Amino acid sequence: MMSTKAFTLVSAVERELLMGDKERVNIECVECCGKNLYVGTNDCSIYHFLLEEQSLPAGTATFTATKQLHRHLGLRKPVCELRAASALHRLLVLCDYSITLVHMLSLEPVPSGARIKGAVALALNENPVSGDPFCVEVCIISVKRRTIQVFMVYEDRVQIVREVSTPEQPLAVAVDGHFLCLALTTQYIILNYSTGAAQDLFPYCSEEKRPIVKRIGRQEFLLAGPGGLGMFATVAGISQRAPVHWSENVIGAAVCFPYVLALDDAFITVHSMLDQQQKQTLPFKEGHILQDFEGRVIVATSKGVYILVPLPLEKQIQDLLASHRVEEALVLAKGARRNIPKEKFQGMYRRILQQAGFIHFAQLQFLEAKELFRSGQLDVRELISLCPFLLPTSSSFTRSHPPLHEYADLNQLTQGDQEKAAKCKRFLMTYLEEVRSSEVVHSYKEDVDTALLKLYAEAGHASLLDLLVTENACLLADSAAWLEKHKRYFALGLLYHHNDQDAAAVQLWVNIVNGEIDDPTRADLYDYVVDFLTHSPDHALVWKHADWALQKSEEVGVQVFTRRPLEEQQDGFNPDDVLTRLKKYPNALVRYLEHLVMDRNLQREEYHTRLALLYLDAVLQRTPGASGSGAEVTETQAKLRRLLQKSDLYRVHFLMERVRDAGLPMERAILHGKLEEHEQALRTLALELGDFPAAEDYCAWRSVGREPAYRRRLFHTLLALYLGPGPSPPASASASASAELAVAAVDLLNRHAAEFDAAQVLQLLPGTWSVQLLCPFLTGAVRDSTHTRRTAQVALGLATSENLIYKHDQMKLKRSSFRLSDKQLCQVCHSPFCEPVFVRYPTGDLVHTHCAASRHTNPSAPRPGART
Amino acid sequence: MRKPDGKIVLLGDMNVGKTSLLQRYMERRFADTVSTVGGAFYLKQWRSYHISIWDTAGREQFHGLGSMYCRGAAAVILTYDVNHPQSLVELEERFLGLTETASTDCLFAIVGNKVDLSEEGASEGCETEGDSPGPAGGSAPSKGPKQVRLEEAVALYKKILKYKMLDEKDMPAAEQMCFETSAKTGHNVDLLFETLFDMVVPVILRQRAQGPPQTVDISRYKPPERTKSGCCA
Ligand SMILES: Nc1nc2c(ncn2[C@@H]2O[C@H](COP(=O)(O)OP(=O)(O)O)[C@@H](O)[C@H]2O)c(=O)[nH]1
Ligand SMILES: [Mg+2]
Repeated sequence: MMSTKAFTLVSAVERELLMGDKERVNIECVECCGKNLYVGTNDCSIYHFLLEEQSLPAGTATFTATKQLHRHLGLRKPVCELRAASALHRLLVLCDYSITLVHMLSLEPVPSGARIKGAVALALNENPVSGDPFCVEVCIISVKRRTIQVFMVYEDRVQIVREVSTPEQPLAVAVDGHFLCLALTTQYIILNYSTGAAQDLFPYCSEEKRPIVKRIGRQEFLLAGPGGLGMFATVAGISQRAPVHWSENVIGAAVCFPYVLALDDAFITVHSMLDQQQKQTLPFKEGHILQDFEGRVIVATSKGVYILVPLPLEKQIQDLLASHRVEEALVLAKGARRNIPKEKFQGMYRRILQQAGFIHFAQLQFLEAKELFRSGQLDVRELISLCPFLLPTSSSFTRSHPPLHEYADLNQLTQGDQEKAAKCKRFLMTYLEEVRSSEVVHSYKEDVDTALLKLYAEAGHASLLDLLVTENACLLADSAAWLEKHKRYFALGLLYHHNDQDAAAVQLWVNIVNGEIDDPTRADLYDYVVDFLTHSPDHALVWKHADWALQKSEEVGVQVFTRRPLEEQQDGFNPDDVLTRLKKYPNALVRYLEHLVMDRNLQREEYHTRLALLYLDAVLQRTPGASGSGAEVTETQAKLRRLLQKSDLYRVHFLMERVRDAGLPMERAILHGKLEEHEQALRTLALELGDFPAAEDYCAWRSVGREPAYRRRLFHTLLALYLGPGPSPPASASASASAELAVAAVDLLNRHAAEFDAAQVLQLLPGTWSVQLLCPFLTGAVRDSTHTRRTAQVALGLATSENLIYKHDQMKLKRSSFRLSDKQLCQVCHSPFCEPVFVRYPTGDLVHTHCAASRHTNPSAPRPGART
Repeated sequence: MRKPDGKIVLLGDMNVGKTSLLQRYMERRFADTVSTVGGAFYLKQWRSYHISIWDTAGREQFHGLGSMYCRGAAAVILTYDVNHPQSLVELEERFLGLTETASTDCLFAIVGNKVDLSEEGASEGCETEGDSPGPAGGSAPSKGPKQVRLEEAVALYKKILKYKMLDEKDMPAAEQMCFETSAKTGHNVDLLFETLFDMVVPVILRQRAQGPPQTVDISRYKPPERTKSGCCA
């Protein structure tokens, strides 16, 4: 058990002062009230002293007592107990089974002679039930067997208010409100003297040991239990604190928060009520009284009186911290909450938490440390400042004073152990990560972020980059120097970028890519820089590094132009300027033109023609000789064809010039197509190349969006090419070639039956062809023509019947007759008819011809049909 | 010091492992214990409630304190050692009487500890190294069959309900309230305490609604029904 120094023992009344050389005089009892100290002796005397306290810097004090008065009570009996009732200026004196009231200063008995007779022991109620300030409540153990009496004591009279009998003879009593805590012969009980309700606490043996009953606070008592236990019990009969463990022969106990003191024949022991541990042991021989009076603990032998001076709680806590007993210090600090003013406590407690945190930190117990730092609201710069150079030079921080710990720096704390230091730094890293976003560090964010950056950089930690690419308050100058020192150039670039110095950033990265400085952070740094430039709003910077990027890789480098967000390309990156810049980089140029034509869909002839020419050049370079009849089509060639087909903007004739004799029939065909020279195109495809599917596709391609007749014409042209002897059929192998063409013609007809005019086709076909051969075509054609005929028949039928209906109506109208007389009125103008001419509506209404005409022009005229 | 909302008390003969169980649960470790003097307690926050858990001393000398510790308890954990049949007997003979002072709707749990020492002991998490049992825990020199079967604990539980004149229907089932644990391996220790905490919360709420123990509001509180056959069972 490590000990704490909670109390120091100092002498208050020396033996000489009290009894001089009278050997047989012994102290029987003491009382202390403010500065008044009373001592009762076995020779029936009362001594009154005045206590003067002098504080010492170490937190203790010394006392000097000056004797005021000595009075002999005139009996031969010892003075058993003394109790001061300061509100009444009275001292209660128990002597010879009788309690007398004497004046506190003169020690003279009250003139009325009021007294309580028949008392064995007494207890004052410190939690009185009556609200009367000029009255104290006194409980006595009566000389009557098994009886407790309760009195009200006034200045010069006493009054009994209650007498209760107990199940066994009481030996000791304490009182709180209506509750008596009693030591009976075999057990402790709580007795409510107002209701008479009793509650057993626990048994003990009065023959073996003297009971102790001590009120320690509101509604709570301390009792001497079996096996040397100091038991706590409330008036409800329950224990709310674990017992403290005394020696078996304890004779007195006192309380001075948060400690319980006990006296036995050789020691005074001090236990904490907070954790039940024994904190201090003071050797003390022949003690027989231990009592506390309003926070002052007095211990006495039969010859002298001593005071146990408590050390200030703060000092005790600091001592505990100094010996690294963190838990105890915290428990004590927490327990002291009620005894210290709130504002003072909070400041003090925070500091203690912080100190405790550093103790754990130094022992590398980071979890505990963190919790303490957090709850103690530590200024993290205290921690940061442990690592030299972490705080930026501009920081205004100074360590708290007095210091929270004894360490100059991490090196001292770890005694040079690098591994430990690394662990501490790792902890610091995680701790800073956690606190940096909190409100607390707001005012010194720069310090925290810069320190974190330095820690990351030093440890080669990947989070360095995350820190730099997100919102941060790292100070530029400090951080830059540190990053340079640790060769974290890529990160340095990010730092520059974060500080709006993109030019410096890019220059640094370019140097890394070029191998002028070494930083392996990113293997793909070149791509990174290109991407960075692509998204950089700084156009000058992009132009400046464009050549560098293109020289490294045309395909990737050109992205600084092609991948740019569109709205940005509009201003600052004029395509013509870019094209000029790209002149030296053919691949990049192609990419860029593709971007203009395909991605941005720019409708400028120049770009389209140029792109087509570039493709063509590339194709021509690849296919020397004119054997490009299409073994494998290169990618570029595919692109060329696609462009030629899709675009309508390039200069067709100009390209045709280049293509005509270049041995690129497919391309030539496309160009013919663009010029509407379908026969030439198809001839090239079908006859020259023998690529029948291509020819068919051509027909489909060219007729997109045209009327059916145009489409039909194309197909017929192709068919005619297949069937007719071309103007220049290939001289050799003419037989097999014409057979092939015949097959192509059959296939064409069969596949695209709908595209042909069957009647016309039939006339073209050679008579030798079997019906079988053309079955699909013919079936299709027949079905088609049947369908047409039937549709026509239906239409005819419908028209006929419609005609009949009209005829029927006409007949109906003609059949009925009516009479027109001058008595009849026109339905519109309501005047009679004067002429035989009239208009009759299908409803039967008759109107004037001019009225009918005006009704059509004048909508407001009454409608004749409306009335019928 | 915060006043706890409810109280749980561990009772049982000395050396059955009460202190070890509490230490295992609260401090997540098993270490040598010293014989408990008088009593000790922990405060446990469970949801919004503060529950005090009292460890008592099994020594005869401190027997007299038991009633006071149990006063007003919301739950009592009666602990025995599965390798010591006598420790189960003691529960009924010596410790049950101490619970008279507990709350009227006090819950009872019966816990057989040290299952790691017997053959079909807790398997999961049990270190199987044959270390010599501690000086005080040396009940089984080598692993033998378990000396106390769970059914015996269940029987005791039912008997307790009869003694207390509580209807089995009103109380948790015996199977729910009889545990076999090992403070050494941690087997069932969390289950024991946390099952109990969950059950104790309603008791706390009822005690609160009821106000101070003496003033029973008859109109709102229905005491647990008593069985008529209780006394001569
Ligand atoms: N093998 C084993 N030993 C245990 C177990 N629980 C407690 N012990 C041991 O039994 C002895 C008594 O334990 P303790 O907790 O002090 O018992 P208490 O008197 O009931 O508090 C100690 O030596 C413990 O190490 C357990 O589950 N398994
Ligand atoms: Mg124990």
